[in-house]
Amino acid sequence: MDRQFITRGVKRCSTGKFLLWLGPWAAMLLFGLYCAGLCLVKGLNQTNMDNRFVFGLWIFLDLTVIALGAGAFFTGFLVYILKVEELKSVINSAVVIGLVCYSGAVCILMVDVGQPLRAWFTFWYPNVHSMLTEVTFCISCYLMVLFIEYLPIALKNRKLREVPSFLVFEHEMHKVMYVLAGVGTFLSFFHQGSLGGLYGVLRGRPFAFREGLGIWPTTFFLFILSAAAVGPSFILLTTWMVEKIAGKRLVRPGTLQLLGRISGLLLAVYVLLKTVDTIVWINRTSPGSGFPAEQFYAWKPFGTWILFAEIGLFGIVPAIVMLTPKLRARTGWLVSAAAMASVGVALNRFVQTVQTLSVPTLSFDKFMTYSPSWQETGTFLAVVAYGVLVYSFSFRYFRVFPEERELAFQAAQTEEDPALLRI
Amino acid sequence: MIAANGNNKAKRYGMTIDVDRCTGCGACMVACAVENNVPPAHEGATDRKGITWIRVFKVDNGEDYPDKRTVFLPVLCQQCGEDTPCVHVCPQQAVDVDPATGIVGQMPERCLGCRYCMAACPYHARYFNWWDPEWPAGMEKTLNPDVAPRMRGVVEKCNFCHGRWHAAKQRAAAAGKKEIQPGDYVPACVEACPAAAIRFGDLNDPAAEVARGAKDPASFRLLEKLHTEPKIYYSSRRDWVRRIGDAPRPPMGKENPRG
Amino acid sequence: MQTTRRNLFKFLGGSAVGVMFTPAPWRLITDTALWSENWPGIPRPVRGEIKTRYTTCALCPAGCAVRARLVGEQPVALMGVPAHPLSLGALCPFGLTGHHLPYHPERLKQGPAHEAAGAVANAIAQCGPNERIAVLDLRPGRTASWTYRRAMAAVKNGVYLTAPRPLGGAAVNLAAARTVLSIGVPLLEGWGTPGNVLAARAGFRLIQAEPFESRTAALADLWLRINPGSGRSLALGLTAQLEGKAMPAQAAAETGLTESQIADLAADLAHNGPALVLAGEDVPEVAPLNRLTGAWGKALIARAEAPVPDSWKKAAPPAGLASVPDGSIRALLIDESVPGDYIPWNAIAPKLVPDNPVVVAFAWSRNGYGRHAQFTLPTAVYPEMTGDAPAATDSPAAAFRISTPLVPAPAGMVDPAAFIAGAAGMDASSALRERADAIHKTGRGTLFTCADAKSTPVKEVKPEDFWKALNEGGCWVDAAGKPSAPVEETGWQAKTPAPQEASDLPLLVALTDLPGATGLISPLMSKLYQESNLRLGPNRAALNPASAAACGVSEGAHAVLQTRLGERPIQVTVSASVPPGVVEVGASPEILDICGAFSRARVAQS
Repeated sequence: MDRQFITRGVKRCSTGKFLLWLGPWAAMLLFGLYCAGLCLVKGLNQTNMDNRFVFGLWIFLDLTVIALGAGAFFTGFLVYILKVEELKSVINSAVVIGLVCYSGAVCILMVDVGQPLRAWFTFWYPNVHSMLTEVTFCISCYLMVLFIEYLPIALKNRKLREVPSFLVFEHEMHKVMYVLAGVGTFLSFFHQGSLGGLYGVLRGRPFAFREGLGIWPTTFFLFILSAAAVGPSFILLTTWMVEKIAGKRLVRPGTLQLLGRISGLLLAVYVLLKTVDTIVWINRTSPGSGFPAEQFYAWKPFGTWILFAEIGLFGIVPAIVMLTPKLRARTGWLVSAAAMASVGVALNRFVQTVQTLSVPTLSFDKFMTYSPSWQETGTFLAVVAYGVLVYSFSFRYFRVFPEERELAFQAAQTEEDPALLRI
Repeated sequence: MIAANGNNKAKRYGMTIDVDRCTGCGACMVACAVENNVPPAHEGATDRKGITWIRVFKVDNGEDYPDKRTVFLPVLCQQCGEDTPCVHVCPQQAVDVDPATGIVGQMPERCLGCRYCMAACPYHARYFNWWDPEWPAGMEKTLNPDVAPRMRGVVEKCNFCHGRWHAAKQRAAAAGKKEIQPGDYVPACVEACPAAAIRFGDLNDPAAEVARGAKDPASFRLLEKLHTEPKIYYSSRRDWVRRIGDAPRPPMGKENPRG
Repeated sequence: MQTTRRNLFKFLGGSAVGVMFTPAPWRLITDTALWSENWPGIPRPVRGEIKTRYTTCALCPAGCAVRARLVGEQPVALMGVPAHPLSLGALCPFGLTGHHLPYHPERLKQGPAHEAAGAVANAIAQCGPNERIAVLDLRPGRTASWTYRRAMAAVKNGVYLTAPRPLGGAAVNLAAARTVLSIGVPLLEGWGTPGNVLAARAGFRLIQAEPFESRTAALADLWLRINPGSGRSLALGLTAQLEGKAMPAQAAAETGLTESQIADLAADLAHNGPALVLAGEDVPEVAPLNRLTGAWGKALIARAEAPVPDSWKKAAPPAGLASVPDGSIRALLIDESVPGDYIPWNAIAPKLVPDNPVVVAFAWSRNGYGRHAQFTLPTAVYPEMTGDAPAATDSPAAAFRISTPLVPAPAGMVDPAAFIAGAAGMDASSALRERADAIHKTGRGTLFTCADAKSTPVKEVKPEDFWKALNEGGCWVDAAGKPSAPVEETGWQAKTPAPQEASDLPLLVALTDLPGATGLISPLMSKLYQESNLRLGPNRAALNPASAAACGVSEGAHAVLQTRLGERPIQVTVSASVPPGVVEVGASPEILDICGAFSRARVAQS
């Protein structure tokens, strides 16, 4: 019955089935909103964070989703600035993912701070020395950019484009898309970096502290690089997942492989630089603060295995897989490598937030443990549900994958020849 | 922020704490809470969720009887003088170093509650209000009128009883003097310590006891290699106690002693 | 200019732009921040005139001097009085938060005073020839104690009971000691007068002999770990060594020390004297030991009390519970109105008549004897009460100081001295004044006044001024005493050692001192036991990680402490500093009712 809103030439399930799909996610969203409400009304004592674990599940997952959502800016950069035309098929999806990732992260941040009504203080009394000021400004601006980038996708809806002014607006927007992409890249460069800088500047936490270039610690650059590396991987992963769930071909096979290659290349560079950075940290930075680096890894359960897992198993291994053409051609390998790359970046964010806070700085302190409360988990699940709901809605009614129609037409033609079909 | 008066030399208030004298009685912890209107623990509070602007730790040398030795160590905001970690990281400039006194001040009214400063502080001297403050019925009558109680969601920490500094300045002004008389401004913990283990004064004043104590070879500061230049000097005649200020040593198979 | 609509808009527009260049809108924006500063639920401290008043703390026998800062008529902070000759400006955490006690949620606000008075009167009237009317005084030596003694002398079959006085009522002069051997005495944890102990600390070497590491043991110069309950054996071994006799074999066997360790210790005490030996009332051998070590007459001296009016001398003598036959107390009045040592109920209950004994407890809360008494009558809590403090254990000279109320007591409070005096048909309302006058009449000693920190000989003070000064926190200190003559050790009642307890209870109980055990403690004390690991909280039991695992409990678990005498819900703290096989609990009345020092217990999941 909402057929008229759905793009011509593509198949979508019935409205009833769609609502059935939305049902559990909506329920999860409601539950999550209840959890968030508890935290806002009763206070942050609803979480398991405490004076020693001041950042917990939310900050860790915020950093992770922002890194994963980096596909939005990076793909935009590749498509509109570097003119990599093949990626045009995933740019819309990347924007939607970026939008849900960033808006979700900002929503969680509003619950995470003790005084959400004072959020405007950062804009009014900014501290130019603080990385967090930078993060706040850049993320707020970039979120606006993402909304603006999302508008054309929405306005291209079959029904909405019947309104002439929308069509004109969308057309004009498209002309300046490269400006938006440029601004987005610039802003992302800085906020991805300063998210890394958040921990790199903490001279009181020798586990996280790094020297750097000028005012920027090395983690600034490493975070940008890892975000740029994992962005395409995550787009690859999500595109594959949506193809599987929707049961349709949405992009040409070569697109996923291109994403994999880009991701693998950047991941390899990142792993190299990260290794160098780690070696410098072990031999110079950490001992210079009076903290021999080995002692950090003597606190069980965070042994050196976590370092090798981050750089090796979830770093160089997926990079190699994605750089090897034979492996890249096999979807199973490609998608697994993309997933591992995502896990690797998540592990890196985990190490920067949770592990940093768990290792003691004072000699009479213990190793700290933390596990999130159900309210914290629920709030995060609300973001996941919100993301799925927005993406589902966008996928159903907007042309999130521009090549889908063409591929569907081709598939219809080759229906007699299933050998040509490849999922 | 109060600009340094050109006539007066800027002060650098600091403390020397003789840990050989500290008996771990906790009078300082309680006097601080009384002075600064820190509420009693909420029902769900633990030692990781409570608010103790000054906190006494029981530290031992890791040995067993009969070689076990113990010391009590009061830890409060170290009032870092150099590259103060919390000042640099606050996105709202809710923390500043007062150039006239050297005190690192926290403005709970501007605090957003992002807790970044708490992550930055290596001494864990900052505390978050996880709950709204609650006093038993009637006990709010005993609150100190010179200090504003904080609501939940903001960070607070020791500020060397800044309210007492203001009161001392007013007394000096009323007496027609430009400077606070030494001894007229004393934080609550210093006043309360029954063992007189904590001394307070101006580190820039060569005649002050704290200035001499700071130069004593038996004195040490916590995590000196981080170069935060804290203004709290601890002193002990015992070698193993002086090493407490170094980086942690993970347990090699032995249970880490209670701290 | 013409007043057209266009000109009006131009003017408004120009003003809007112009005002942006003034501070006005920017100030207004920052002022909106004020809205986010204080929500309605946050209390605002009341302002008013700042005043200072002096009084004496009543929370423990030290009786430290207190300087109160008041806003209007409300104390907001308590501090010590630096120049005070006895307390030397120190206040412990309990003293620093005394002004919170009137608002404690568990504070009793009302009680059946008339009923209780009636029941007591009946009991007195019906008291049989072999029965007794008894007053149990948890903090003897006060003027109120004298009122009880006089009342019990006036009442037929009246008897005045107290816990045994530490050291038989002798006083300790720490300044004269070069070595102190403390057998389980919490010397640095609130013993005596903290300010005085800490001031004298540098002058003596402290050897702490006790089975578990208390704070005193951790701070001592030497901690000797002796087996639980072996204090007497240690004292016997030392006595033998110092007398040149052969050391009894049980000394080493029971203490767990070697013979040479005990011999070395004895030599230490002999060569580094005067060496003071301190122990609880369970080690009576300490008295002769102190003579051998040269402490008697120097570090341990006989000390008289502050003078009393001659008319008071007709008073019942202090007696211990053991001196009362079982089943003979018809009415028992327990003065719990100042925190003191709690005597477990199972020691008291057998002494009551089996049929309808009358038990009245005068208390701040129901947590102590209020759990067992028939009538619990509320009394004024510390900053509201009027009372006096005799000299503490570590004051070589007698002293007299009055606790003046800082705030008025609420209606419905009962004064135990007035109640008991009334039951005996006496009027003791001016007892404090009478005593002050008696002290002044002797012309001895000095009066210390807090406001000007001056000590004046009593001879130079008029009686009216003396009384007035005492009510303003002043303190009378007796003149330096004559050299002491050895005093008979009355009141030394060696506790019969507890029978070997059932060994199916796997854990040994270590009691940690919980000062104020029979009173209330300020909610702010949570800083010490809930918001930090400094002390063990009430209702908490600490176990070694291995013991906790063996009991099947973990950190924070709600469990049950079971002993031979009963059980009690507790919350578990896991701590590596507790030895395996030991459970550490605070000595609250509820705990003391089910276990004593070194009892055996089990911790089970609840």
